[in-house]
Amino acid sequence: MTDILAFCFASAEELPRASVELLAAARQLGDKLGDGNVQALFLGPDAEEYGETLVHRGADEVFTVSHPRLQYHEAEVVLGMLETAVQRLSPSVVLFPHDALGGDVGSRLAYRLGTGIITDCVGFEIEDGVIRWLRPVYGGKAMAYMVAGGPMQLATIRSRAFEPLPADPGRQGQVQALEIDVDSIPSQVSFLEKIQEKIEGISLDQAQIIVSGGRGMGNAEGFSALRDLAGVLGAAVGGSRPAADLGWVPHSRLVGQTGKIVAPNLYIAVAISGAPQHMAGAGASKTIVAINKDEDAPIFKVAHIGIVDEWENVLPALSAACKAVLNG
Amino acid sequence: MHIVVCLKQIIDPEIPPHVFQIDPVKRKQIRGKQALVISSFDEVALEVALQLKERVGGKVTIITIGGSEAVEALHTALAMGADEAILLSDPAFDDSDSFGKAHILAAALRRLGEFNGVLCGRQAGDVEFGLVGPFLAEEMGLPCVTLVANIEPGDGKVRLRRPTEDGYEVLETSLPFLATVTNDESNVPRYPSIRGIRTCMRRRIPVWSAAELGLDPATVGPEAARIKLEQLFIPKREIRCEFIEGESGPEKGKRLALRLQELKLI
Repeated sequence: MTDILAFCFASAEELPRASVELLAAARQLGDKLGDGNVQALFLGPDAEEYGETLVHRGADEVFTVSHPRLQYHEAEVVLGMLETAVQRLSPSVVLFPHDALGGDVGSRLAYRLGTGIITDCVGFEIEDGVIRWLRPVYGGKAMAYMVAGGPMQLATIRSRAFEPLPADPGRQGQVQALEIDVDSIPSQVSFLEKIQEKIEGISLDQAQIIVSGGRGMGNAEGFSALRDLAGVLGAAVGGSRPAADLGWVPHSRLVGQTGKIVAPNLYIAVAISGAPQHMAGAGASKTIVAINKDEDAPIFKVAHIGIVDEWENVLPALSAACKAVLNG
Repeated sequence: MHIVVCLKQIIDPEIPPHVFQIDPVKRKQIRGKQALVISSFDEVALEVALQLKERVGGKVTIITIGGSEAVEALHTALAMGADEAILLSDPAFDDSDSFGKAHILAAALRRLGEFNGVLCGRQAGDVEFGLVGPFLAEEMGLPCVTLVANIEPGDGKVRLRRPTEDGYEVLETSLPFLATVTNDESNVPRYPSIRGIRTCMRRRIPVWSAAELGLDPATVGPEAARIKLEQLFIPKREIRCEFIEGESGPEKGKRLALRLQELKLI
């Protein structure tokens, strides 16, 4: 039996998509290895509430640790707990979401265990019993198969790389609380506060349609034309890294490798050249539409539908026509 | 305050895909005629360090692992305002994994002795593993805060601000500390000044070898690696773009709306 442990962390009141994706990845890895036993380690202020749901989503065993401190990115507390959990469960593989907390505690746990870790994985294959982890490198311009050496395999999994399994209420599994003394874990870093800013409009995560702009929008005013279109379509507004760095959209709206990874039904990229760093964030969209004045822009290599023209000429008519279509 | 910034020199990552080439046998990018640059998040880390120095005084030391060509990156960093630069160079360092690199940097920090903070970019702009910073903190036993955009100095402490999806978090730790740095509006790297370039471009850079760092060569390099890149390839993309034609921009816009409706996308 190969135990595959998925690190799940719920700071908010709902089950994060990352946890469900991780279970799907663990299930797939377990099936490829042939004898995989998927374990979910679930941390959060009310972790035990989710036990059954995690079984329905692919876990064979669920271990929960509930503690009020477990709602913040307090790396040393989470790390201390992980060390204890991993010692007790001694899994062969530990999977983390490739996000702020997962990358932080995953890498440091690897160091403490003296074992290899492969970050930002989008897939894997098994060769002679060895896991070959697939990850993008060079901003997505190339892909690499990587191998981790050491007593345990650790990996962080890119969001949207694995489709969650549908909930199966008939699935059976074990749920148990893990007794760990969270209060006695020392930390050299104090978590002072978490500030949540009000987000205007629809969030990138929930949107079925995203309208994004790039450097070619020219200035912050250009984005108001994008917001008009987004308003008509009920879409979220995103931006490329240059647009975010120039302050035309907040960084929370950055789509790309170092921002949000999204997978809407429709992604409309306006005046975005299509650099690999951006496509790493938007490439999983079901349909990509590109509007760009440069017919040689790399975006047209990855877009399904394209218009070669200045965005100023296209957007107002597009918004008006969409409005007409939607009003029937 | 003495801040040490770890830099990596990489092949310019902004080059378009059609000039991007790899050597599948060496499992590396081929440089060709491309420029070498400081990895962008490392440049941001340097900017954060320089801003700290401007507020509380002290100095900024930059260290990098590389061959003689990496001197150029160090000269650029000096011209931006760093005070000292050290090149960590030895054939034994080639093809070290993230454990090996953290080990080399840790040896350099020990040799430097006194410092109050270490800053690293959140991930390298080429392979993007994001491991060296956290590994280095673990090896040195330093408090570690990842993905920080700016740092407020305090009395024997620092306050670090970490942007999140919908706001930010504030953390505090005592000195010395290590942070990995991400970018936001507050830390756009400055350009090197003309005067800086003139005075720094010829500065002699101290080079520390494995022996000078007291490093056992068996603990670094490919033999010691636990993170191995086995196969490198360029993925094939097979999407054919359907172009919407028209006499004018507005006409194309209208046709696009109708096509999206036809495809049930809106």
